[in-house]
Parts: sequence; structure tokens; C-alpha cells
Amino acid sequence: MKSEKKRIGVFVCHCGINIAGVVNVPEVVKRLKETTDAAVVIDHQYCCSDPGQNLIKETIQKEKLDGAVIACCSPTLHENTFRKTAARAGINPYNCEIANIREQCSWVTEDKEKATDKAAKIIKTLIKKVQYDEPLTPISIPVTRKALVIGGGVAGIQAALDIANTGYPVILLEKNPSIGGKMSMLSETFPTLDCSQCILTPKMVEAKQHPNITLMTYSEIDSVSGYIGNFKVKVRQKARYVDWDKCTGCDICVGKCPKKVSDEFNCGLSERKVVYKMFPQSVPNRVVIDAPNCLYIQKGACRLCEKHCPFNAIKWNDKDEIKELEVGAIVLATGYELLDKQRLGPYGFGKLKNVVDGLQFERILSASGPFMGEVKRPSDGKVPERIVFVQCAGSRDPENAMAYCSKICCMYTAKQAILYKHRVHQGEAVVFYIDVRTGGKGFEEFYKRATDEGILYIRGKVSKIFEKGDKVIVWGADTITGKKVEVEADLVVLATAMVPAAEKSFAQLMKLTQDEYGWFTEAHPKLRPVETLAGGFFLAGASQGPKDIPEAVSQASGAASKVIILFASDTLEHAPVIAGVDEDLCSGCGVCIDVCPYKAREIQVKEDGKKKTVKVIEVLCEGCGACSAACPVGAAQQKNFKDKQIEDMVKVGLE
Amino acid sequence: MTSFAYYPGCTLYTKSKNLDLCARETAQILGVELKELETWNCCGAIFSTVTDDIANQVAPIRNLIEAQKISNKLVTLCAACYNVLKRSNLYLAKAGNETYRKRLMNFLDTEYNGKTEVVHYLETLKYDIGFDNVKAKVVKSLNGLKVASYYGCLMVRPSEELKFDDPDNPVMMDDLFAALGATPVDFPFKGECCGGYILVDKPEVATKCAQTVIENMAASGAECVATTCPLCQYNIDNQQKMMSKQYNLPIFYFTQLLGLALGIDEKILNLNNHFIDPKPLLKQKGLLQ
Amino acid sequence: MIIDETIKKDIEELSGQKLSDCYQCGECTAGCPTAFAMEPVPSQSIRLLQLGKYSELLESAGIWLCAACNVCGERCPRGVDYGKIADACRTIVLRNKVTHITLEKVDKKFILDAPQQAFIAAFRKFTT
Ligand SMILES: Cc1cc2nc3c(=O)[nH]c(=O)nc-3n(C[C@H](O)[C@H](O)[C@H](O)COP(=O)(O)OP(=O)(O)OC[C@H]3O[C@@H](n4cnc5c(N)ncnc54)[C@H](O)[C@@H]3O)c2cc1C
Ligand code: SF4
Ligand code: SF4
Repeated sequence: MKSEKKRIGVFVCHCGINIAGVVNVPEVVKRLKETTDAAVVIDHQYCCSDPGQNLIKETIQKEKLDGAVIACCSPTLHENTFRKTAARAGINPYNCEIANIREQCSWVTEDKEKATDKAAKIIKTLIKKVQYDEPLTPISIPVTRKALVIGGGVAGIQAALDIANTGYPVILLEKNPSIGGKMSMLSETFPTLDCSQCILTPKMVEAKQHPNITLMTYSEIDSVSGYIGNFKVKVRQKARYVDWDKCTGCDICVGKCPKKVSDEFNCGLSERKVVYKMFPQSVPNRVVIDAPNCLYIQKGACRLCEKHCPFNAIKWNDKDEIKELEVGAIVLATGYELLDKQRLGPYGFGKLKNVVDGLQFERILSASGPFMGEVKRPSDGKVPERIVFVQCAGSRDPENAMAYCSKICCMYTAKQAILYKHRVHQGEAVVFYIDVRTGGKGFEEFYKRATDEGILYIRGKVSKIFEKGDKVIVWGADTITGKKVEVEADLVVLATAMVPAAEKSFAQLMKLTQDEYGWFTEAHPKLRPVETLAGGFFLAGASQGPKDIPEAVSQASGAASKVIILFASDTLEHAPVIAGVDEDLCSGCGVCIDVCPYKAREIQVKEDGKKKTVKVIEVLCEGCGACSAACPVGAAQQKNFKDKQIEDMVKVGLE
Repeated sequence: MTSFAYYPGCTLYTKSKNLDLCARETAQILGVELKELETWNCCGAIFSTVTDDIANQVAPIRNLIEAQKISNKLVTLCAACYNVLKRSNLYLAKAGNETYRKRLMNFLDTEYNGKTEVVHYLETLKYDIGFDNVKAKVVKSLNGLKVASYYGCLMVRPSEELKFDDPDNPVMMDDLFAALGATPVDFPFKGECCGGYILVDKPEVATKCAQTVIENMAASGAECVATTCPLCQYNIDNQQKMMSKQYNLPIFYFTQLLGLALGIDEKILNLNNHFIDPKPLLKQKGLLQ
Repeated sequence: MIIDETIKKDIEELSGQKLSDCYQCGECTAGCPTAFAMEPVPSQSIRLLQLGKYSELLESAGIWLCAACNVCGERCPRGVDYGKIADACRTIVLRNKVTHITLEKVDKKFILDAPQQAFIAAFRKFTT
């Protein structure tokens, strides 16, 4: 801490009448001159204006000041402005501080005299602070300008393409054999009814062919270490039992494989072979062998695929491979799943064959689906004459499932009902809803279209669904007429809640925070929606919360631009107002490690091998001060907010 | 022999003697003594949900205090008694209800804080005796008998309080019948209401409720029904004759079927106390001479 | 019957339910076994209370039709138990010494046949 006194200038801003209308500025100036050791005290109408800044700069130079206090609005607004002004005048910017006499004084204090007193006190505390302030320089760290995008749905693909198109290399990692995500399972998309595959596959192909994108499918994250700009990631590439360099995706083996299992891509509505491609347009266009089900791998007999493969691509000795990556930024685009129908007891626990969820119905509608796009029901392949759509199945239900609104179901239900009517003209579609939420471009018009096409909307939530003969009975209510309603249906479609795909263990691996349901939490719900509190991690698409395709894509581009901004320079500047450790005092108790929300602190063993102390990973520290408050011995001290400094400031404030 | 305090309740002493007697007898065979409370009074037949209703809580709590003389566990049989006693007990012991409890105690002689555990005989069979041990004692397997287990409302709801079984798909009775050799049939109305509680006031509405349930049971392919509740038994049994279509579904107390399988005396089974005579079905299945 | 604003407080206290929790989805009505005959149905009954139309509900036939089966409370997404609200409403009426049924009204044959439980419950629920 500096002992010799600084020459400090105080600049009191009127902010028009925002401050001066309440605070008696000349009086404040007079008092500061009389009672403090400030070298100069000047006031100005608008300090942030060009003339204001010039005055500050000139005064600093003329008066040979080495510290400044600007008494004005909140530091969140103009701290940066004035620190730059101070730097231009030749003093260390961290020796220029803001005294907030607007938000914390004039705007909230009616009594003029009290406001004046208070303003003077606030400024005095900041003069004290500057006396103690050390000159600081921003921390500079190198940046690996290479990104990792986790999740190859539409959001992940978009983020990868945007980053790659700026010239930076990207690794696009997907746990399934193919990229595409949920969008590749959809039939047509609201509100324009364009074919989902048709608009998605060009992007998938572009990602595959892009010189800056490396696809790693059938892969999962094993571990992540490091920090913003400098991550080390271990990826587990699962054994495919097929040599992808040799395989051409000809599908001959698929035709020969004798064993069938439930097809995940068709949501269990059909079967696939054990050696399989997820869907015809899979990217990469390669097959994998599903080892737990393979007759040869499990029982030692069969090998038909190997026998028939014209390219000798079957590779029985394939193993999981661990690949190490070094990247500077990570985009999370892990998307969503649908709530398990088993959780909906009153709706039949997912055991009723003719009660499907939204994605299953997308597959039923899809031309590449289990019924080639003909609307049939799973139990007997009959064309349903009446379909009941049940909205809010597990959404908006804090008691039994998810409290939140899944946001997309109103629209996709309308879409699915319309598509059903297009395929089965005499078919009846009935929708049970609590509210129809159409807050998107073209959405309300789309809903109108649904009712125009004769779809019956009944306002009430469904309480029970059960089978009666080959029909499904739905007990609902029409709250508008106040009647209980029973509808006999051939097929029921549940708009089950969207739930996050990322499990808790995955988030822990990433050291990321999730909300109570598992959606990744953003750094700020309004102003930093694509960033996370952990530096270098960005969010795209439905991993952060329920989203439709346009929203997922825009957020992906937002996340990509944040990555690009980070990559704009090969070094990273980090504010130096961070916490340190006084190693002589630190006992290595680790209390601070638990309280640090940014995971910026860790235990280190000193060279002598005996003493344990805490170490700060400077780039991760955001200077929040939690550790300083928690440290029992005062070893965690924040630069320019040291205990002694704060104590003296408080003393001055209470004088 | 383990013995548990046992609460029969008013209906089991009169109209539903077979529910009670079969339980005592089967318990004996299974090595458990159901020891009737020395003195007991009516539970009130319906749980009062009104938060300040002390008057109607005194009766059930008295029984719980009485049970303490025998064991910490009180076995019940009638679905209503189970529901009322268990919920009264929970309400009294609920955190935050201390003032209520103090006021209630003014009307009782013995201090009580909820330590009697109220269970249903089905739970005794499942957890204390074990269905495997029940199975070992079967002398007449109910082989081929298709039984719909009807739980009704009182056994399963409110599930948060009773924690008896899944309110949308209870299986405890089904599992018991499977152990007895019968074929449990699944049907979606296992926990639906038969309208019993409004039978006296609005018989026409209760009739409709019961008939909806009966139709659903019949559609499931069941040959007979089993219940734990005298009100359900009466309602489902009695309403059938008023229906345009005659389903002829006998409805038993679960303890009657248990008793049949364990070979207790036909007099105790008392198969004459039914509107729909169950004997032809049992004879057809070779379960009765 | 004299109705005033304190009734809302009474109903909320007696039932332990918060009327504003109900967002009128209708799931209670949809599952209620007697809703076909009940007027007003559960969700509308709560709506009447939310609108302050207490007397309309307290004087209605609906509150006496609740079979106390607990389906509404079990499935309500907002944790509202209409059965308890109906019980509270009936209690308010009964505590004003307005009895709902009398023994004379009940079919004699029925008294001989039906289980005691049915009568005790009915007279506990429906008389002052
Ligand atoms: C029935 C239904 C119909 C819909 N219809 C429409 C519509 O008509 N119009 C519209 O705009 N939107 C629609 N949607 C919404 C649409 O599906 C989503 O907006 C979109 O898929 C979100 O894309 P995403 O990339 O964020 O997530 P996803 O599509 O879920 O992609 C995430 C990807 O990440 C992968 N992944 C997950 N975890 C990991 C991990 N740990 N490691 C590696 N990879 C991982 C997944 O395998 C997946 O490929 C519909 C949704 C449903 C349920
Ligand atoms: S070896 Fe396995 S993958 Fe190959 S054909 Fe046989 S079952 Fe299919
Ligand atoms: S189910 Fe619950 S929220 Fe829905 S209308 Fe009934 S009481 Fe209200």
C-alpha cells in the first residue's frame, strides 16, 4: 500500500438537473475544499460530454494529479469512459474512481440538505479509496483460437458454421452417429410448413464439407480442464466397429444384418438393424454397429455384415478412442429431450400404444418415418379418424412435473393438427389447451389457420386418458361452458414437456450451473443471454431453455459472435481488479474455494512440499469479493478493495 | 406370534362381518395376531379436511391412543377407517400444527403425539408377513380366477399422505392375488370413485359413478372384483342389478379371497352376504364344492 | 345468509388452500367423477370465489355433490385441492345451522341394506 499522499482531483458532475436539481453542488464543492486534502475540486454540467472530459484531462495534466474521483452516475455506466480519460491524461486508469451520487443519492433522496450531505460523504469515501488505490495493469492471457461446439443439432451446426466462416477452426462434437439433432426428426415446421429435412440437410452437408470444421460424431466429452482461451478437452470417440475411412455408407451390410432392435430415430415406432445408419441423410454418411445388441460381439456368431461388406470396412477390434483437444472456447448446444411419458400416470404411464408424444407424431407424419408419411396409429396401423391433442402434458405443472411453459407446444400442436387434416381430410382433430400462446412472428395467424381448417379447440386440461376397446378415451373439461368432456379418440398426441438433454453429471464435468430443471443458466437473463458465468463457455439453442428453431438458430449465431469476439485477438485482457492470496497468512483451509462462484481458486502445495495455500487463477477471477469476505484470516485480499482500505472508507463515511 | 393392535370399525362389526372375520382367521394362519383394541369408537367414517375441526378429530385420535396399549402399529381393514385414522394421525403430528394439537389434547385424557403407525392389513401382508410367505400357505390356489382389484379412492388418495401405492396404478392387491394363484386383471378405473360417499344424499349420481366403474371392470375381462371397502362393496354389488346390462360380477372383500385360498371355513367366508351370488363362479372354477 | 369479504379468508383458512393459486386449467373438473351432475363444476366454483361471488357458491348445489374422492387435489398442477374448498364451504353453511339432509329423506330399505359407514359419513358431512 502506498504511503505517500496522492494529488487527487475531484470532478463533481451536475448531470443537468439529475444531480444538481437535488444536491447543492456548489456547497459540496465548498465542503470538499474545506475538509479534504483534494488538490482540486471542480464541478461541471456534464462531465461525460466532450468538454467535460477535456476539462478532466487538462486539469489532471495541469495540476499534475495522480488520482481522480468523478462524482457522477453509476460506475456501470461511465467508469470505463472516465478511466480512459484518466489514462489519456497519463495516470493509471485504476486510480480513477466513480463516486455514485446519482443512483445512490440524488435519485433516491428527496430532502435537498440530506442529499447534499450524503453526496459530500460519498465523495469523501472515494477520495480515501483513491489514496490507497494501487496502479494496476490488465492481465493478458494467450488465446487458442479454436472452438469446440458440443451438440450437433441445428443450433450447434449454426454456431459451428458461423465461427468457421470467420476463419477459425471448429470441432463439432455429437454423441449420436449423425449430426442433425431433433430437427432432423421433424416433418414440416411451423409456421411456414416447410420440410424440416429439406432446410436442414444443406446445413448438415455444409458443416461436413467446411474446411474449418472437424466433425466428431459418436463422441462424448470425457473431461474438461483449463480456462477461457485455454481449455484442454478429452473426447471419447465411441467404438463404431466400422472403419469409416473404408465405409462408403452403401448400406449393404444393413440389408444383410439379421437382428432388429427398436429404432430410436423413429422413437420406438419401428425397428432398425444392429448395423445401422440413423437416417438416410445421415452426416457423415456412415454406419455403426450397436455393440450391446450385436450377435457377433455378444454371442460370437453371425458376422454377416463383414461377409457382405464390399469394402472390408467392418472392424471387430475397434475400441473407444480418447482424443485430446486444445480449444479456446466451448459452445454448449446439447438441446433437449421430451419428458418421459412414464411420468404421466393419469395419461397412462406411456403404456398405451395409441398415446404418443409430439416427436413420435412428427415421425408418424414424416415421409421417412415408420409409415412413410401416412398417418397411421401404432397399435394396428389403422388410419385414425379422430386424434386428440393434449397440450401442457407435464408443462406448467409444478406439482407433478415441470413448472415452466415449454413454449413450442402450442405451435407444434397446431402444426400437427393441420398436417393431420391435410393427410386425412375427413379426420377430426381436437385440441385440449389451457392457453394458446402465439408470441412469435406469424404464430397467431398460424393458430387462426388451424381453427379455420376446422380443428376444434377445447379450453381445458385433460385429467385422465385410458383405453376402451380399441379406442382411447380422453377426459377433459371445457372450462368455458363449465362441462366435463369425454372424447373418444383413435390416437392421442401428448405435447409432453421439453426437458434438458444435459444431465447433471455432464454439467458438473463442465463446471457449469443449471437451473432446478437442468437448463444451463446464462450469465444474465437479459443482458448476457448466451454467456455463462464460467468464462469461455457459451450457450446455444435449447440447452438453455425451450426454444423453437428460429430462436435456437439466432442464439447460436449470438454464441458464435461471442466466440469470434474472443478470438479477435490472440491475447485476452482481463480486468486486474481481482482477489489475491497473502501466502504468509493463508492456512490453506479452502473456505474461499467453495464460495467462489467462478471456480477461480484452487489449492496448491508450495515448493517445500509442506505448506498448502490457495492459488488464484487470475483469468477466472471476476473480483466479486466473496473470498475476501469468507477468508477467516484475511489472506484473501482484493486488489484496490483491501480490508484496511474499506475500513478507512467506512470511517470517513461515518464521520 | 407377533401381535398388532387391530381396529375393526363399526361396519365390520355388523354389515361386513366377513371382511373382519376372514382377516382375523387368515392372520392367525399366517402367524400374526390381530389384537382388537380393548375399547374403540367409530372413526368418523370420513376425514374432515377443515383445518380447525377439532370435534371430528377427537374420535379417531382416541382410537390411536388406545392402540398404544398393544403396539405402535395399528392395523386397519376398512378403507375408510384406514384413510381417516391415518390422515387424522398425520394432521395431528404435522409440523406447524402444534397449537391445534394442544387444543385437541384438551378433549383427551392421554397426551399423544402421533406415534401410532396406522397401516392397512394389505401392508401387513406385504411388509410384515411377505407375499411369498402368504403364497407358501396357500392350500387352494385361485388358479384361473380373473380378479379385478378395485382400490377406490380411500386407499390411494391423497397419495402424498397415505403413500400406500401409486394413485394411478396401484398394484398391491394385484400382487397379493397373483401370490394366491389368481390372474389379476388390469383396468384403468382401479382408483376411480364409486360415488359411495354421496350414496345417501344423491343416490342417482352415485349410481351413475358406480355404473361407469362397473362397465370398465367388466370390459377388462374380469370375472370378479375384490375390494377393501364396505362402501365400494355395497355400491358395486348393489348397483349391478339396476343396470340395463347384467354383468354379474361378484364383488369380494380381499380377505374373503385370501381366506378361500388359505382354506378357511366356508362359514367364515360367508358367501351368502352378496347381491351377486359368487358361488356359481367359484364352483365353476372348482374353488367350491 | 350474510356474506362479506371475511368469507374469503374463512374459506382459505378452513380449507388451507390459496384461491389465487388456481389458474383455471380445468383439470379438476375433467377428472371429477360427479362433475356431470355438479353445478358449478370444481374449476368454476373456484372461479366464483376468485371473483368474490361467495354466496353464489355457498348457495349452490355443487358443493354438496363432492364425493370426497380427492382426484381434483391429487392431479391439480397448482396444488389446489378443491375437495377441501368444498368441505370448507359446506362447513360454513352448516355452521350457520343450515342442515343439508334429514333422516326422513332417506329411503328406509336403504337404511337396512347399506353399510353404516355410508350413513355416518353422510350425517357427518351434511348435517350441522
Ligand atoms: C414435437 C416437436 C415439434 C417441433 N416442431 C417445430 C417446428 O415446427 N418449428 C420449429 O421452429 N421448432 C420446432 N420444434 C423445436 C425444435 O425441435 C427445436 O427448436 C430444435 O431442435 C432445437 O435445436 P437444438 O440444436 O438446440 O437442440 P437439439 O435438436 O436437441 O440438438 C442437440 C444435439 O446435441 C446432441 N447432444 C446432446 N447432449 C450431448 C452431449 N452430452 N454430447 C454430445 N452431443 C450431445 C444431441 O444428440 C443433439 O443432436 C419442435 C419440437 C418438438 C418436440
Ligand atoms: S455381426 Fe452384428 S452387426 Fe453384423 S450382421 Fe451380425 S448382428 Fe448385424
Ligand atoms: S385443477 Fe387446480 S388449477 Fe386447474 S382449475 Fe382445478 S383447482 Fe384450478
